[in-house]
Amino acid sequence: MKTIPKLLFTAVISGFLFSCDSNDDPTPIVQLEATLVEDLAAPNDVIDRTTGEVTEERPFQFFSLEQNALVSENEDWDLAFKGTTIRVNNSKNVSAAVVNGIFEEITEVPANATFATDTETSFAIPTGSGSGWYNYNPATFTVTPIPGRVILVQTTAGNYSKIEILSYYKGNPPADQINPMTTPSAHYTFRYVLRPDGTTNL
Amino acid sequence: MFRINLIKITAIFLLIPQLVFGAFQEGEKIILDEKGNPIPFALVKVDGQKPLTVDENGQVDSPSNGDRVVVFALGYETQQLTWEEWLASEKIILHEKSGNLQEVVVAATRTERSVEDLPMPVTVLNTEKIQETGGMRLSEILREQTGLQIASDHGAGLQMQGLDSDYILILLDGEPLIGRTAGTFDLDRISVSNIERIEILRGPSSALYGSEAMAGVVNIITKNNSGQRKADFALRHRSFNSWNPSLELGTGGEKWDANVFLDHFQTDGFDLTPETIGQTQNPYKATTAQVKINGNLAPKWDLSLFARGYSETSDGLMQTGGAANPELLELDNARRDINLNPTLRFKPNEKWLFTLRGMSSWFSTNSNTRFQSSGEVFDLQDFQQFYHRTELQTDYQIKPNQLLTLGLGQLIETVEATRYDDLNRFDAGYFFLQHQWDPGQRMNVVSGLRADFHSQYGNRLSPKVSGQYKISEKLSWQASVGAGFKAPDFRQLLLNFNNAASGYYVFGATLAQEGIARLQEQGLVAQILFDPSTLGDLRAETSWAFNTGFRWKASERANLQVNAFRNAIDNLIETAPIAQLNTGQNAFSYFNVRSVITQGVEVDASFQVLENLSLSAGYAFLDTRDLDVVDRIENGEVFKRNSQNQTRRVTLEDYGGLFNRSRHSGNFKINYQELNTGIDWALRAIYRGKFGFADRNGNLILDDESEYADGWISVNLTASKTLSNGIFFEAGGTNLLNTATPAQPNNPGRVLFLGVKIPVLNLKN
Repeated sequence: MKTIPKLLFTAVISGFLFSCDSNDDPTPIVQLEATLVEDLAAPNDVIDRTTGEVTEERPFQFFSLEQNALVSENEDWDLAFKGTTIRVNNSKNVSAAVVNGIFEEITEVPANATFATDTETSFAIPTGSGSGWYNYNPATFTVTPIPGRVILVQTTAGNYSKIEILSYYKGNPPADQINPMTTPSAHYTFRYVLRPDGTTNL
Repeated sequence: MFRINLIKITAIFLLIPQLVFGAFQEGEKIILDEKGNPIPFALVKVDGQKPLTVDENGQVDSPSNGDRVVVFALGYETQQLTWEEWLASEKIILHEKSGNLQEVVVAATRTERSVEDLPMPVTVLNTEKIQETGGMRLSEILREQTGLQIASDHGAGLQMQGLDSDYILILLDGEPLIGRTAGTFDLDRISVSNIERIEILRGPSSALYGSEAMAGVVNIITKNNSGQRKADFALRHRSFNSWNPSLELGTGGEKWDANVFLDHFQTDGFDLTPETIGQTQNPYKATTAQVKINGNLAPKWDLSLFARGYSETSDGLMQTGGAANPELLELDNARRDINLNPTLRFKPNEKWLFTLRGMSSWFSTNSNTRFQSSGEVFDLQDFQQFYHRTELQTDYQIKPNQLLTLGLGQLIETVEATRYDDLNRFDAGYFFLQHQWDPGQRMNVVSGLRADFHSQYGNRLSPKVSGQYKISEKLSWQASVGAGFKAPDFRQLLLNFNNAASGYYVFGATLAQEGIARLQEQGLVAQILFDPSTLGDLRAETSWAFNTGFRWKASERANLQVNAFRNAIDNLIETAPIAQLNTGQNAFSYFNVRSVITQGVEVDASFQVLENLSLSAGYAFLDTRDLDVVDRIENGEVFKRNSQNQTRRVTLEDYGGLFNRSRHSGNFKINYQELNTGIDWALRAIYRGKFGFADRNGNLILDDESEYADGWISVNLTASKTLSNGIFFEAGGTNLLNTATPAQPNNPGRVLFLGVKIPVLNLKN
């Protein structure tokens, strides 16, 4: 009766070999489609030209990446827009990092990306031309997103997202059609990818 | 051919009033050019005797007997005659040298030398070349020259070897002109009717002139009067209701001469965008008055006085308030310029020459912008600058082939303006040394060094060496290496500016530390980006340049000049943020940040086809690059968005260099004198290759086809004639094809002009 335990043993071992290959056949990563947000209006404060005083203050526009919608300040918002300034929700531990690269090619959060949140003295997404997400072109008087700048955000739910801002002007017009005098500004058009399971694949 | 003593020419020019001869005597000969005009100041030398000068009528006293007679004049082919030939002819006709190699240039070495002997790239525009451009302002003359561009940026600024007008020194009769707006010297401030010659010197000349002579020097020489009594009245009219009357008066005596020049220019301006409020060029009026007096005080002493006043006013309309709430604004601008330059020359003997120059300049601009409806002031800007310089130059002829020049100077500059605090004053001193040496018949070397000591930005040493080797009578090779620098200007040192509407601040380097401290006290600062103790240390922009080329006189009738150059510029000053403010905006100051290279080749050729027909062509190739941008591109840090809004990396092949510079440019000119009518025709085609005008894809560098403006050709034609009674007529036009260039707003389209000049006191009958 030695053959039967041997056969059984082989059969069981083979069974293991043929069934337990979770390493070779992982759950496939769902390729996420980018969500496009168009013309998110975030007007800046009205400032008197000659004195520099704010004559009419405007509110920040609070946006949740998870819900893909504008929300109010006391809800779970991730980013707040006003003029060219973008804040992150530091009270809910939202952090952001600005990296260089091609949006489609950033499939994973880079190891050297330093995430920061807004503090009393600094913004996670830096303000000022050239430092954050945009360039102010003094020759054409236009604000244009810096090509190759991608903003990585860890949302209120702890999920990772990559964002690329496409335009600061209403209707996302091509650069040579922007008239700084007449085209309405502070209308954000951007696309983002949100990985809903908390992993770093984007 | 006998060597010209370097100071001798100066001596001749200084002593001319004393060599005027009397009436035509028996045995006198007359020296004429091909057109039958006398050649004043030609020289006649018989064998080893001292040369005789020819008077202003072309007449010369009969020399004593000899074997060979040599008749020589600058700009003309030398003639050698035997004594018999000399006796036989009453008139000696000299032929003009083709090309401009014999023109005398002063600015290159601050002594007089001819172009063909200079080991650095020099171009001279004489009265004919100036006249044929039909230009009424200086910018219109210079834009037709190879390798020069006029860019419109706060005024008509010159670009030379790819460098902006901030880096080109403009001289008027050897003295610097002041008054720059954002670095640009507006060439439209210089009237043309009294310009005799323009010397254009390329390559860093800080070894003689100090700051601003980094790309080169343009010396505008105004007409001198040799004591002749004259009253010339000229009137020119041009498209856009432009008028230019001018008056030139001259008088003199045996030991002195005086010259008064008055010029008025007014235009309605032009508009390239009639649908928007405000013209592209506003209407303006400008008046220039200039007085020059030269006198011989004592046998070895000469005194010259130069005084010039310029006043310009312009007005215009602007719109503000955006589409929702438009408001009309009225602009009134005024600019004033006064120059006073006395010069004293002392020539104790053949070997020494002392020149003492005092120079004072006042420049002011005033700009008043008001709401049209209420008259309320919208913006008021005032700027006043005063510059004074005293300089002593000593020229010592060590040997016939060595000339040493020493210069010592001191200058004071004050500036007062709406955007600067208080009255600011700079003091500086300098000295320079130059050695001109002809070690052999074939070689000449010019070496120079200048040291500048400035109260605000420290000290600088600028050396330069140039050498020329004459490979043969017809071919010479030259090369020069030199350092140049440009001092930080008032803006970069003193600006105290707050754009209230946008909320950002700009501080000049010397005010930055104080400015940030003040903002901190007010609680406006969110984060400091730069260690405040390092602020304020702004250095001069510096360059090293190499120029080399050759001059080839291919034949009696053909000339070729080639010059290759490379400028390596460092420490270019730009703004950068120094602190982040609570509002999210920044405070900026100026730093030495950029490095730029410009390099290229310039070619000029001329060919005399027939006695009355000559052709010339020029071509310039220019390559420019910002070294920091090149580094970033090579590190893969620069991206662009294409038309499908996809992002990709920018490669080095994409990069086009600096904005507003054409890679290729050139010109082709035909000069023809019609023999039947006596009319001189000048037809020129000026080509400007495509150039980058603005960033279109968000990365602020020139890297895409959509960011270039098309190249274009300006076809210009001038016809002129001097009647037998001396009255001069001219007519013509520029941009005859009416090419529109929206990216180059100083081009109004086709412009036609007419002019007349009447020498009232010297009409010939």
